[in-house]
Amino acid sequence: MIEFRDLHKSLGGEAILRGIDLVVQEGETLVLLGPSGAGKSVLLKHAIGLLRPDRGDVLVDGVSIARASAAELKRVRRRVGYVFQNAALFDSLTIAENLRLAQDDDRELRDVEECRAEAKVLLERVNLDPSVLDMYPPQLSGGMRKRVGVARAIASHPRYLLWDEPTTGLDPVNAETIDALIKELAAELGVTSIVVTHDLESAFQVGDRIALLYEGRIHICAPPEEVFTSTDPVVQRFVRRGRVSVPAAV
Amino acid sequence: MSTVVSPAPLRGVLSGLETIGRAALLAVSIVRILPRPRMYLRSFINQAYLMGIRSLPLVLLMAFLGGAVTSQQTGAQFTGALPLWVIGSVVAASVITELGPVLTAIVLVGRIGASIAAEIASMKVTEQIDALYAMGRDPVVYLVVPRVLAGVVVLPPLVVLADAMGVFSGWGIGLLVVDGLTSADFVYGMRFYFRPWALIFSVLKAGAFGFAITFLACFIGLEGRGGAEGVGRTTTAAVVATTIAIMVLDVALVPVLKMY
Ligand SMILES: Nc1ncnc2c1ncn2[C@@H]1O[C@H](COP(=O)(O)OP(=O)(O)OP(=O)(O)O)[C@@H](O)[C@H]1O
Ligand SMILES: [Mg+2]
Repeated sequence: MIEFRDLHKSLGGEAILRGIDLVVQEGETLVLLGPSGAGKSVLLKHAIGLLRPDRGDVLVDGVSIARASAAELKRVRRRVGYVFQNAALFDSLTIAENLRLAQDDDRELRDVEECRAEAKVLLERVNLDPSVLDMYPPQLSGGMRKRVGVARAIASHPRYLLWDEPTTGLDPVNAETIDALIKELAAELGVTSIVVTHDLESAFQVGDRIALLYEGRIHICAPPEEVFTSTDPVVQRFVRRGRVSVPAAV
Repeated sequence: MSTVVSPAPLRGVLSGLETIGRAALLAVSIVRILPRPRMYLRSFINQAYLMGIRSLPLVLLMAFLGGAVTSQQTGAQFTGALPLWVIGSVVAASVITELGPVLTAIVLVGRIGASIAAEIASMKVTEQIDALYAMGRDPVVYLVVPRVLAGVVVLPPLVVLADAMGVFSGWGIGLLVVDGLTSADFVYGMRFYFRPWALIFSVLKAGAFGFAITFLACFIGLEGRGGAEGVGRTTTAAVVATTIAIMVLDVALVPVLKMY
């Protein structure tokens, strides 16, 4: 379970998060919508302590991220897979080595061939050819890098997955592959996910609940049908269009 | 956010102190990782090899020129006033205690310090550092320790080679351009001056410079922000800061030379 409790964060002198209260239940897939610049990525980063809250806290399996020691944080992070908005692959490492960093632990170094075989399976799951294993990230297209980022996030068999716009910039076929993967991981392994997206189609497909981040707070958090039929004007502005395109709140 | 409005100079001092605090924390985490070589050994060997190989030609060239300048200038300034063998003493003294370490450090600032700062800063702004953390990995283990340790280990042998090159070039060039100087004079002067402590001092200085260059480059790289343009600014800042640090250390270490 991931609980955001009264989370506040200012960045660059601006209050981005102004009291986030949100509970993501075990095994649930929660979709997070919100205007560009609303702080969706900032919110996800708090869940694994990449950013520290000014006030409030995040609890992952009951562990306070704000007060966690370095060792505790590390344990939490090994349980959470993070798909970065811009993939954030290690440019100086091959795809195989990128995946290997997630497959291995610091201590138990695993067999190279075994990791490679497993890496091929991971790539298959995100619809990538195993021939990319020995390429470097700058040699791949943006959409390919994004999918490697997904493969890397799931490589350590995490119980939690934080997806920052996993389908943005993907063609419809690959976007569907990723949506299917999110659903599979939830159904087969009980993985708990938070999915940030601007893709309403995808939100409806994968979300058990949809939350809308607006003006620093969770404006609504409800099952998809409820969100899509809501009469709230802010919510309506969001779901009227095929894609979310409301400008950032003033 | 603090609601107390502090005047600008005070804020400057506070943020300066904060930066020093973060640097100290980085130094502490480096020290805590050192006893666990398994975590960084391979990467360290790789870095040390690259640093040594990439800088050696330029280091030798600089040392050659440094030695050549010293023997010619000494020759020009002292001819007639002092016996010629003094050239041997001056070349050995200035190359071993000063030129060898400093010229090598300056080469390393440009070749290694700049590239470390640029690499780490670009990893920072493209969230690769965050990605390491997200995977439960420590960037200090993966990036900082191998580089800093390589700097400390690689600079001393580079400086010894630079010292040797500088002395030989001072000798050779001296014979060529200073009228009346003989090899016997030069060697006599060199031996007259030479103390083992000078060489030890040279090596200690090299280690200190190696630490300063790689540590500051890593630290400033990790502080990097603001896109591709930020990476450029960070790299420049790292080169300036390490160059100043080298010269300050150079001055600060003078008393150590006088110890023996
Ligand atoms: N490290 C930082 N320093 C200063 N400001 C930041 C930082 N990170 C984010 N911000 C600011 O916080 C705000 C929220 O950013 P965030 O990346 O969370 O938006 P987002 O909701 O993910 O948007 P998008 O949908 O475009 O990805 C933005 O105004 C951004 O400029
Ligand atoms: Mg974002």
